[in-house]
Amino acid sequence: MDKSWFTFDLHKRKILTMILLLVFILSLFSVEWNSNLIHSGGFETAKQIFVALFQPDLSTDILLLAVEASWSTLSYATAGMSLAIFIAFIFGIPASGVLAENAKTKRIMRSFFRGHLGFMRAIHELVWAWLFVASIGLSPFAAIFALAIPYGGILGRIFADMLEDVPREPILALEAAGASRLQTLWYGYLPMVRTSIISYAMYRFECAVRSSAIMSFVGIGGLGYQIHLSLDDLHYNEVWTFVFFLIFLVIIIDAWSNQLRKRLVR
Amino acid sequence: MTVRKRRKITFVTASVYALLLLAAASWLSIFSFEKASLTTLFSEQNLLHTGKFFKGLFGIGEENPAFFSKESWENAFNLTVETLIMSVMATGFATIAAFLTVVPAARNVADGSLTLAKKWHGWISFGIIRGGYIFSRAVPELVWAMIIIFIFKPGILPGAIALALHNFGILGKLCAEVIEDLETRPVRNLASSGASRVQILLYGVLPAALPRFLTYILYRWEVIMRTTIVVGFVGAGGLGQQFKLSMSFFHYTDITLLLVFYLILVFAADFISEKARYLIK
Repeated sequence: MDKSWFTFDLHKRKILTMILLLVFILSLFSVEWNSNLIHSGGFETAKQIFVALFQPDLSTDILLLAVEASWSTLSYATAGMSLAIFIAFIFGIPASGVLAENAKTKRIMRSFFRGHLGFMRAIHELVWAWLFVASIGLSPFAAIFALAIPYGGILGRIFADMLEDVPREPILALEAAGASRLQTLWYGYLPMVRTSIISYAMYRFECAVRSSAIMSFVGIGGLGYQIHLSLDDLHYNEVWTFVFFLIFLVIIIDAWSNQLRKRLVR
Repeated sequence: MTVRKRRKITFVTASVYALLLLAAASWLSIFSFEKASLTTLFSEQNLLHTGKFFKGLFGIGEENPAFFSKESWENAFNLTVETLIMSVMATGFATIAAFLTVVPAARNVADGSLTLAKKWHGWISFGIIRGGYIFSRAVPELVWAMIIIFIFKPGILPGAIALALHNFGILGKLCAEVIEDLETRPVRNLASSGASRVQILLYGVLPAALPRFLTYILYRWEVIMRTTIVVGFVGAGGLGQQFKLSMSFFHYTDITLLLVFYLILVFAADFISEKARYLIK
């Protein structure tokens, strides 16, 4: 009996794999595969870009510019993340429904705040950036808000999920000792999710750096802006210098957050 | 034991302080060096501008807003289908590339503990492929798209390739970690009975790792769906390209329509992938 169920389970997986493969193959038919896909000088350009990869521009001017741009990228990311964490707390705690007194308010609060969080994270940060630039003009705040909203949405949702998964027993013990709702939150829920929320926020911080770099596409300064400018001037070796700075930044934060997570989990 | 504990606390607390310091420095530099001020942000002129923009988005005072023209709806629908195809292609390319490289990129394959065969080039190929993963995922999709668009003509193919290049690194890393966590005995059994590399992948690794691979692929598809609009900005087709054009022409009602379609697409992708993941669990 057990075995027949098992084979059925495998079947479902196989069917899904087949469907996914089929969809992918179908999607390939939508492109007309001929030489018209590539620019007339496309291969030449590709070769130049590839060659430039091994000879990045390392002159002092460019390096200084890259350091400056890296700092503004990093500072936007950090500022955006700090706002995002704030948003995550404000929306995430009600979205988890742990503060609600009875089942009905819990349901209403959950769907209301979860809906908001879903909307915030559904729109990509660059689209937010564009909307902000169109409405408040080119200001660092456009980048920071544009980062904070979708990241707040993601963090808030994860935060709410974590709060909901907290084991009941310690909370019941606190309640039995006469703790109020806020006190259970402060002494029960928050300490228990602290490590996981820090480690997830660190992971998101790495993504925020990458996103903040591309914010520049809508005209806000930073590494992406420099990449954009150099590409427009066809200075491919400068492009790679900036890209290497970006990679360096991401790798450092990745390594840092890995170390931190390892130690937090242990 | 106590030493270790103390060290753990210091690293974590040091990190927390460093992060707080970083945040403070960031805000400080934004306020002082970049001369961003909140007062100019909420100035009279800015408020007027913002009001005008939002009125434009909702089509207030516009003669023929896009929501009432059949043509705009059809156009937006076609672009949505195009965007969907782009996301599927991107996921497919990324998956194929990741699958082709994932076996040597697993640590337990490189040191020979999984296949019971230590090869001299194990660590070399591991290093090269892992380096490639890091490189490809550290560069954002948009930057890849900006570069790719120099080579390919605008359309959905360059967008799909740019998205695939970024996600190749992520999928590769995630899948390599799945292989590292695999139960080693079945694979060792295959290896010791003389299976080739491809056979090990097909009969040993894939059956055990496929459910988690699928989960990751579906999860990345969700993310790719959200990012398709971004690569469109630089001319890689789909909703994003039209979004940029409408923004440049100040056709704000078109933007609202495109955003609505985009949101539907994103929510649909989330729903489908969640259901599919539930199915294979």
